[in-house]
Amino acid sequence: MAKKKAVLSIDGEIQINYKWSVGKAGDRFFTELRDHKKIMGTKCRQCGRVLVPPRIFCEECFVEDMEWVEVEPRGTLLTFGESYFSTDGKRLKEPWMLGIVRLKGSDGGLIHLISESRPEDLKIGMPVEAVFKNKPEGNIMDILYFRPANN
Amino acid sequence: MPKRVAIVGAGMQKYEFRKEQTVEEMVFDVARNALENSHLSKDDIDSVVFGSAVDAFCGINNSDKVAIDASGGLLKPTMRNSTSGSTAISTPILGYTHVASGMHDLVMVLCYEKMSENDSAQAVFNTVYDEAFVRPIGLNVPIQCGLEARAYLHKYGITERQMAKVSVKNRGNALSNPYAQLPMKLTVEDVLASPYLSWPVKLLDTSPVTDGARALILASEDVARELTDDPIWIKGVGRGADSVWFMGRQNKDLGKLDYAYLAVFFFQAKAGIRDPMAEIDYAEVYDPFTYKEMQHCEAMGLCSEGGAGRMIDEGISLKDGPLPVNASGGLQGEGNPIGAGMSRLCWCYLQAKGQAGACQVPKDVNNAVANGWGGMYQYNAVMVIGRD
Ligand SMILES: [Zn+2]
Repeated sequence: MAKKKAVLSIDGEIQINYKWSVGKAGDRFFTELRDHKKIMGTKCRQCGRVLVPPRIFCEECFVEDMEWVEVEPRGTLLTFGESYFSTDGKRLKEPWMLGIVRLKGSDGGLIHLISESRPEDLKIGMPVEAVFKNKPEGNIMDILYFRPANN
Repeated sequence: MPKRVAIVGAGMQKYEFRKEQTVEEMVFDVARNALENSHLSKDDIDSVVFGSAVDAFCGINNSDKVAIDASGGLLKPTMRNSTSGSTAISTPILGYTHVASGMHDLVMVLCYEKMSENDSAQAVFNTVYDEAFVRPIGLNVPIQCGLEARAYLHKYGITERQMAKVSVKNRGNALSNPYAQLPMKLTVEDVLASPYLSWPVKLLDTSPVTDGARALILASEDVARELTDDPIWIKGVGRGADSVWFMGRQNKDLGKLDYAYLAVFFFQAKAGIRDPMAEIDYAEVYDPFTYKEMQHCEAMGLCSEGGAGRMIDEGISLKDGPLPVNASGGLQGEGNPIGAGMSRLCWCYLQAKGQAGACQVPKDVNNAVANGWGGMYQYNAVMVIGRD
């Protein structure tokens, strides 16, 4: 079958730069992370849940009645995934890994890179700990990654 | 009390990668097809509701503006709905409310998506993630599916082989669908041998990048009875949405989708369905990945919780099985133009009417259910349709 002639197309691109506010809760979280290598959450004074990432309100009690608490830089690996593609779609020889970590002392957690291990070393439910950057800058990558920890 | 609402026509077109039609041309194509199939003209339609997921896919903001003329919606009340993948079903629910409220008698629901003209659909998906806490980590859709699928398999003992059987079923079913983008005759071994994107999700567990559109026409009870002796009613709708913070949700294990079960609780209550396995004859289940069909079958009560592996092993969801799922090929075989996943509901309607052509299942379809899923992996919308 002869290939039919394609309709014409035009090239385009959208390139827009942004500067996003991290908000009141994000400001405190990232400042403490940068200046003291601390992971902070907000505790609802009504239901007692500790939110990480922090928020200035509790979505369940629907109040703005929160206090700041420090949570531990370690926790439990809820699940993990390895990817054989970079986020811009390139195929990789060695996989990189992400995990969801329930931080001790919180009812939430972080999704972050998992390193110093291979996929076969990881298990759902195992303890992991944060490794911090030497020269922090006030963003989520001030935590370099999580790695398997001793109990 | 909501008024009764019937589906009276569907508009279909072929799903393709790099479709030559513009958004406007796709919309016109399916709007005209839906009007022809329901023996209506554009002037009969009171209102048009549009659905598409993320404008960044097509690179044209407010892309619904061109759908006004192309749908026959000029100078009529129109509006656009967008809830990511679940747009597929939340948009017909929005159309339903337009009629159920008594505001309009005939409403066209039109979903479209043009996904393939950007150079990276994954880069577009990445812009959905939280800008401060998640995006810098480099999360993408395949690895997020890996996170979720690993938790699901871990919780219920589902296997990669069972996931593969869903792919074989859906791509095989698509061989009978004239609108399908990716029909394939596969074996389980073919699927298992395809490359991993993120364990346990492999290339042949996923759905393709797709352009396409679908339309449905909804009618009030009086108008539906004028148009047809055999109306297919919207019997129940449900929606459930969880927090976008998937690291700290109420469902702590990520394997069971509380929000999906919640949506189903609502539709069952409204549709008066007590036992979906016995009362639902046919299902089109949102299956962007094989394990998602399995999770959604469980949430919708089409099998027991954790029973989706057995469901596919026993052939229950095959085209000639007792509860066929995605005889059209689903998103895996027909194509996955995110918001235009409304095709799932179109196929339920065609099956109920006996108009599904070579995809028709060898049984009576009196009750059928379709769902749509998306957002930050946290939004499910469900609709059940059928006869009295
Ligand atoms: Zn609270």
